[in-house]
Amino acid sequence: MFHTCDRCESPATFHLTEIKGGTKTERHLCEDCAKVLQVPQANKELQTLLKSFDPSQVGRQKGGKSVKACPDCGMTYAEFRQNGRFGCPKDYEVFEKEVVALLERIHNGVSRYSGKTPEGGQVEDGELVDETSEVRARLAQAVASEDYEEAARLRDEIRRMTAARSAPPAGEAEAE
Amino acid sequence: MARPDDQAPLFPGDGDAAGGTLRLPDLFMLRTGPESDVVVSSRMRLARNLDGFHFKPRFMEGECERLEVHLREVLRESEPSNRYHGLHDLSATERKVLFERHLVSREHAADEHPRGVSFSADGTSSIMVNEEDHLRLQVFAPGLDLEHLDRAVNGIDDRIAGRVTYSFDPRFGYRTACPTNTGTGLRVSVMLHLPALSGRLEGRPRGAEQDVVRLQNAAQQLGQTIRGLYGESSRADGDFYQISNQVTLGRRPEQTLEDVGKLVRMTLDWERRNRDAHLERNRTRIEDHVWRAWAVLTHARRMTSTEALTLLSALRLGVCLGIVDAVDVPTLQGLMVDMRPGHLQYQAEAELTAERRDEVRADLIRGKLLAT
Ligand SMILES: [Zn+2]
Ligand SMILES: [Zn+2]
Repeated sequence: MFHTCDRCESPATFHLTEIKGGTKTERHLCEDCAKVLQVPQANKELQTLLKSFDPSQVGRQKGGKSVKACPDCGMTYAEFRQNGRFGCPKDYEVFEKEVVALLERIHNGVSRYSGKTPEGGQVEDGELVDETSEVRARLAQAVASEDYEEAARLRDEIRRMTAARSAPPAGEAEAE
Repeated sequence: MARPDDQAPLFPGDGDAAGGTLRLPDLFMLRTGPESDVVVSSRMRLARNLDGFHFKPRFMEGECERLEVHLREVLRESEPSNRYHGLHDLSATERKVLFERHLVSREHAADEHPRGVSFSADGTSSIMVNEEDHLRLQVFAPGLDLEHLDRAVNGIDDRIAGRVTYSFDPRFGYRTACPTNTGTGLRVSVMLHLPALSGRLEGRPRGAEQDVVRLQNAAQQLGQTIRGLYGESSRADGDFYQISNQVTLGRRPEQTLEDVGKLVRMTLDWERRNRDAHLERNRTRIEDHVWRAWAVLTHARRMTSTEALTLLSALRLGVCLGIVDAVDVPTLQGLMVDMRPGHLQYQAEAELTAERRDEVRADLIRGKLLAT
């Protein structure tokens, strides 16, 4: 049977029967609305992943005394597993081992970042890239081949690069 | 069609904010971009969070409001020409209109906590405040235009980054509320019109869309996904599909853009070849499909949004194949937005029953198509 969503006009993919006080009500929701209303199955893929996978239980008894919780927001890994959302940025460190394993499952086996930094630097495979290293190598070569003019030019270039990096972002300079 | 910006609409009886302050941006879909015979639009989104604040599930008393006020001020400085609206100040209809334009997510429109949206007057960028992440930066373009979007979204990101401290470290990249966004926080989505690949032109029954299933498999191996934009399963209503990346760690953003671009180009080549093959094999059948859509769209007195989407899809194909020239693609794209329930209600400045909406929708479409 075809139903449209109770909340919008999209086709419904979630069909719920609720029995409250002896009366039965049927609800039909599309995937988006089911998510909004936090129908448990709505976030299917992530939920399945989280449930099938609980490294926090490795070497720890369920209901044991040592349930790790974030000191900042109080989130436990069990609770995170339940709704699939972190409570604060610090949870990444508090549950690092579990988070790394989970991220690898989600992101095709990789959990290390590659891309820019908010300050305009670059990260490759989880490590800050020193942009001067390539120029330094050319400098060493220039010195070895006694090309002092080129060496002086490369030294200037390195100085410029380091100065640019340590400068505060434009317009945000504050005297301290 | 366009309502004057300053004309305040009234939506009494929402049990909600009265609204009336919303100033809608232009509809970017009224332009076409590269590859617009197949690609409807492109979108890029970055998820960002601030250091020193909790995520939504763990906001302390008053923290959510404090963050909204703070970010509102940050955005006023970094995007001075944008408009900012607190969503709690808008009526349900106004929020629905913003959702139908993709300026806010469905969750963001429906939620209840202090939150907002900042958008550019041309409708090509929006920033959600206090969605699942503290900030969600989005940029849009008609057609396939990822390089342009990349510059635009990173421009916004860098301007904000100079004014706040993002939650970031080299190990995990940008920390997000959901682990599926951790790293680049980047989602690239390209919306495609695939009436040939969906099997609809051959009259294949639902569930027999082998080409789309093959595409889904290919996408998955590339860390991407393709899914219907409206409706469910592999046959989307109106044959509109969206290709987007899923992996946000271990791959540089430019690599992700390139990967998505590649799959999109492969898909659009395939779609075009299929369209040509259909025309060659049975031109009359395609023409009949298109002209029937035209006939109904220009004569019907009542129309559901699903029917309208299906028929406008057929007409779009007809225009792109040169079968119909009485209307152009931007007009059809505009109609696809204007005919949605929130827009009809916003335009009418009244709440409309579903039945009444179907009548208003048919009038709107007929009027627009016969006027051009
Ligand atoms: Zn719905
Ligand atoms: Zn925490």
